[in-house]
Amino acid sequence: MMIKTADRTPNFIGFQTLVKREMVRTFAIINQVIWPPVIQTLLYVFVFGLALGSKIPTVQGVKYSQFLIPGLIMLQVIDQTYGEGSSTVFQGRFMNSIQELLIAPLSAFEMVMGYVVAGTARALFIASLITMLGAVFVQTLPVQWGIYLLTIVLVAVLFSSLGIICGLFAEKFDHIALLTTFFITPLVFVGGVFTSTQFLPPLARTISMFNPMFYMINAFRYSYTLHGDAPLALSLGVVTTLTVVAFGTALVLVSIGFKLRT
Amino acid sequence: MLALRIDGLVKRYGDFTAVDGISFDVPEGEFFGLLGPNGAGKTTTINSIVGLSKITAGSIELFGLDVTTDWRAARRLVGLSPQEYNFDRYLSIRDILIYQAGYYGLHGKAVRKRADELLERFGLTSKAKQLYTRLSGGMKRRLTIARALMYAPKLLILDEPTAGVDVELRLELWSFLRELNREGTTIILTTHYLEEAEELCSRIGIIEAGKLVALETTRKLIGERTLQDVFLELTRR
Repeated sequence: MMIKTADRTPNFIGFQTLVKREMVRTFAIINQVIWPPVIQTLLYVFVFGLALGSKIPTVQGVKYSQFLIPGLIMLQVIDQTYGEGSSTVFQGRFMNSIQELLIAPLSAFEMVMGYVVAGTARALFIASLITMLGAVFVQTLPVQWGIYLLTIVLVAVLFSSLGIICGLFAEKFDHIALLTTFFITPLVFVGGVFTSTQFLPPLARTISMFNPMFYMINAFRYSYTLHGDAPLALSLGVVTTLTVVAFGTALVLVSIGFKLRT
Repeated sequence: MLALRIDGLVKRYGDFTAVDGISFDVPEGEFFGLLGPNGAGKTTTINSIVGLSKITAGSIELFGLDVTTDWRAARRLVGLSPQEYNFDRYLSIRDILIYQAGYYGLHGKAVRKRADELLERFGLTSKAKQLYTRLSGGMKRRLTIARALMYAPKLLILDEPTAGVDVELRLELWSFLRELNREGTTIILTTHYLEEAEELCSRIGIIEAGKLVALETTRKLIGERTLQDVFLELTRR
């Protein structure tokens, strides 16, 4: 019966345990969350990048297939981190298993950080797989690794937080899909995954400036091409601001026990 | 020392008052029964103690620690075996225990040893690597108690621990709970089986419509009658 109680605060072991639990969950559903983005990316690279792309002249100074890779990485990072945050929180609420965390000596900050760090780890894992595919199939690698890492981390924190927020608001699984279907996917697709905004008519180019996904993809692509459709500082500024707002909102909601504590 | 002190607890959901100014103490080492009909406010009271419900008014202390202001230290002292199963569906039975200890800030060899001891004690060793969905109802019930004991809480709260279990397991659990109480763990039990409360609890509180309508030692409360007679008299609406 004698187990020494950890009396130090904050509860770092509790936070670590949550991160580990989320990673166990990720690998338990590997066929839903790891292989689909990798296969999907391969298909995009072959169909759009290599087949159709051979007819397109260079974009931002690189071959179209090479231009495509950073956009595809961002697409999957956004999709998978939102999926991680939203499904784990909603499922935890739905199955009541989140109560294991709510009765434990874990602060709201430790809980949110646990989900966010796990989401970021998932994002980095998927991004590194796709990066390797890019290196093997279209011979492209990031040039600015610092920007590469910074953008992935910022975007992963942003969408993990957004996932937590939606996981808290959702009353059924369908509500989680709402945001993906009507907001995230369309904005990512028109945000520059497949094309540079230089190819767009002037009006569409102006509208793109109001699309937050454009700045994420733009900042990340810079790490590969050293070119962008908007200044890097502006892109990173927009992404950082959105990340701080989303993380702060998730933290406030968990702190007040929104839909968690009755 | 008092294991639990509830002072003027009020819990409202909008216009509905689920708990209406309840006050009672549970001294350390006691086996306390919290009874009441469905919807009387038992689970709401328990949820307020463990932090699953936000208190509207009043205060709750666990071993002298306020559950709202000293929540982190207070939560380390209490274990909950909930009425409804809320296990992690991605973890094995053994990992459910180990991870639960982890959330409480415990890790290492001692935790793994404790998990194995509890699995053994509750007859779950052969199921250690399986998911909880493969367990029978009785096994799931045992697992909820084992999980609550992982971090050796000084107060164990059992919300209907024998609901849906057969007679043999119920007797087995009674014997285990008595032993645990003898070893020094304070126990609070809610149950619909009145003979269970009569058998195990040294003192009983009865809640009706959010108010405490009786608080007495089991012997005094029952007197010459049966607990069922007393219960029905106090809770008849």
